[in-house]
Amino acid sequence: MYTRGYLILALLIACLCAPSTFAQTGTITADSIIHKVTQTMNPAQSEGKMKMTIQTTSRKTRTFLYLAYAKNYGEKTLMKYLEPSRVKGQAILMLNNADDIWVYFPRTRRVRKLATHAKKQKMEGSDFSYEDMGAGNAFIDEFDSQLLGEEKKEGELCYQLQLTRKPKSTSGYSKLIMWVDKEDFVPLVIDYYHDDDPTLLEKELVCGEIKIIDDIPTPMQVVMHNKLDRTQTGMEMVEVTYKVDLDDDLFTERGMKK
Amino acid sequence: MRRLLNVIVLSFLLLPPASAQDLDIFGYFEPQFNLVSWDDDSYQLQSNKLRVDLRSHLDEDIEFGANFDWIVYHGKREWNYWDFIPQRVTSRYHPLRRERYGFRFDDRNFLDNAYLRLCFPSFDLMAGKQQISLGTGYAWNPTDVFNVKDLTDPTYEQPGHNAIRIDWPLEGGFGLLALYSPEADWETSGKLLRLKGRWQHFDFSVIGTETEWGVTDYEYAFFNLLTLHRRRLLGGDFAGELLGLGVWGEGAYDFVEDFEDFWELLIGGDYTFDSEVYILLEFYHHSLGKSDYRDYDLNDWLRFFYQEQKSLTRDQAYCLIQYPLTDLLKIGGSTLISLSDGSIALVPTLLYSFHENIEFTLIGNVNFGEEGKAYGSSQGYSLLLRSRVYF
Repeated sequence: MYTRGYLILALLIACLCAPSTFAQTGTITADSIIHKVTQTMNPAQSEGKMKMTIQTTSRKTRTFLYLAYAKNYGEKTLMKYLEPSRVKGQAILMLNNADDIWVYFPRTRRVRKLATHAKKQKMEGSDFSYEDMGAGNAFIDEFDSQLLGEEKKEGELCYQLQLTRKPKSTSGYSKLIMWVDKEDFVPLVIDYYHDDDPTLLEKELVCGEIKIIDDIPTPMQVVMHNKLDRTQTGMEMVEVTYKVDLDDDLFTERGMKK
Repeated sequence: MRRLLNVIVLSFLLLPPASAQDLDIFGYFEPQFNLVSWDDDSYQLQSNKLRVDLRSHLDEDIEFGANFDWIVYHGKREWNYWDFIPQRVTSRYHPLRRERYGFRFDDRNFLDNAYLRLCFPSFDLMAGKQQISLGTGYAWNPTDVFNVKDLTDPTYEQPGHNAIRIDWPLEGGFGLLALYSPEADWETSGKLLRLKGRWQHFDFSVIGTETEWGVTDYEYAFFNLLTLHRRRLLGGDFAGELLGLGVWGEGAYDFVEDFEDFWELLIGGDYTFDSEVYILLEFYHHSLGKSDYRDYDLNDWLRFFYQEQKSLTRDQAYCLIQYPLTDLLKIGGSTLISLSDGSIALVPTLLYSFHENIEFTLIGNVNFGEEGKAYGSSQGYSLLLRSRVYF
């Protein structure tokens, strides 16, 4: 399965704040940090409204507004487009950590199942692919992590980690460099290196404007910079709540059509 | 009078009455320009389509939806299927027979869909004119007895059908669909039952339908003789993933009263490469299609043109390639291949996002087959330019 899903959606719609006592024990390792990041980025449940703005190569912008729901620590996610009119009503359902994806087209009322390779496609032409939007344990399952040290990034003291793709991994990235906030374990910056060339920086994700919502530190702004295409896509959290009790029925074909 | 009525309806829709604050109004305007080159001449046909969608959630569990379509045509509106049938076939008949097969693109204003959807705790009930989408195939759907896709544009929306349907979600990803599409009486009405399930990363379904199928004998000497047959279909489909490839399939066996039984089979797969090139392949078999093009007769051609039968030729392949050339421009095309007669049609496509609610589509169609084959070059070539403005 292609699981280079770096939990962007989960990162935006959540960031479950874990007590940072773990970090204060003094014996922290790369593995424990990456487990903490994964835990942080996968909330039990969440419901939010997101705004995605794509800046194209020709300096035009495309703006999308959608509702995002997640359950079971990101194992189930559902996105429903509200704007623009062209995609209004379309829905994307991802189950089993985005290993199963369905897309619903309201004008034909057709639900189409996508294979995991479709996750490589850009989502509505953005710098996020479908798999970037998926959730899961990709940081743990697909990569070996190494603590490089501590470094200040985006004004915060961070752990600097290097994640190297495991030999049997099918991830589309050869390497990641991640800066994780020492306080709340939110990855503030992630550098994604090219599939075939571990020295070629392909994308950079920057999280900003972190607010505490329902006791959870939440990046209200996330920007993905595509270093090769020189484009960028921003995601803004318009509304979010973690104190929800979402019905399992929402994460079904029936829920997509509602 | 009809125009006045349309204006009144449109005005009503576009004015925001206080009582309709929950009524969502959206849709699109779609001007099209179609250039057809055929028989050493070229012709133009333009159309303007306005689709207005209404959607209202009267309650969390009650939804009303509808759409009106206004379509006006201009240019060469009158055509004749006879002209697209190989001369080898038409030369057997008196030239006057041609008069039977003319058709005209008349302006149309109609209610395409209008339905009420009620969601109960254990099932959903939907009644009215609605979309019925069946099967996992992209270009063909053997299990879909309600729609026939346009092979040059298979994802274009289909007309609404009068029906009442109940969807029961069951445990473990399973679900049951029961649909009744009423006609003049019970015997002629459409009935459908489908059980859908999930196994690992595969979706599958089994389906049974009973409908009335109209088949015309166009060779009948005096007029086009339409006969109606009860058609019972038993079929199934699946969609999933195998060795990293998206795979799907669909098959149906049709039991037809007082006519020949037939079966259809579709197998498909797709893949997205790291370069973002997307490739889709489908193979389709229709047992009523002929395997030798010299056997294509008048009935075969006209049943195919009038969409009574989904395929003229027995075995076909469909190949779609798409590539996002830039973040706003997607290029690609499809190839239709009759494996039975060796003819090929190329359908190059281009999709440009001019604005987040405006897109331009260009669809070409060039046939490379010999005269008399399914995609014979004598059928000419065409170019369609479509713009669509969503609101």
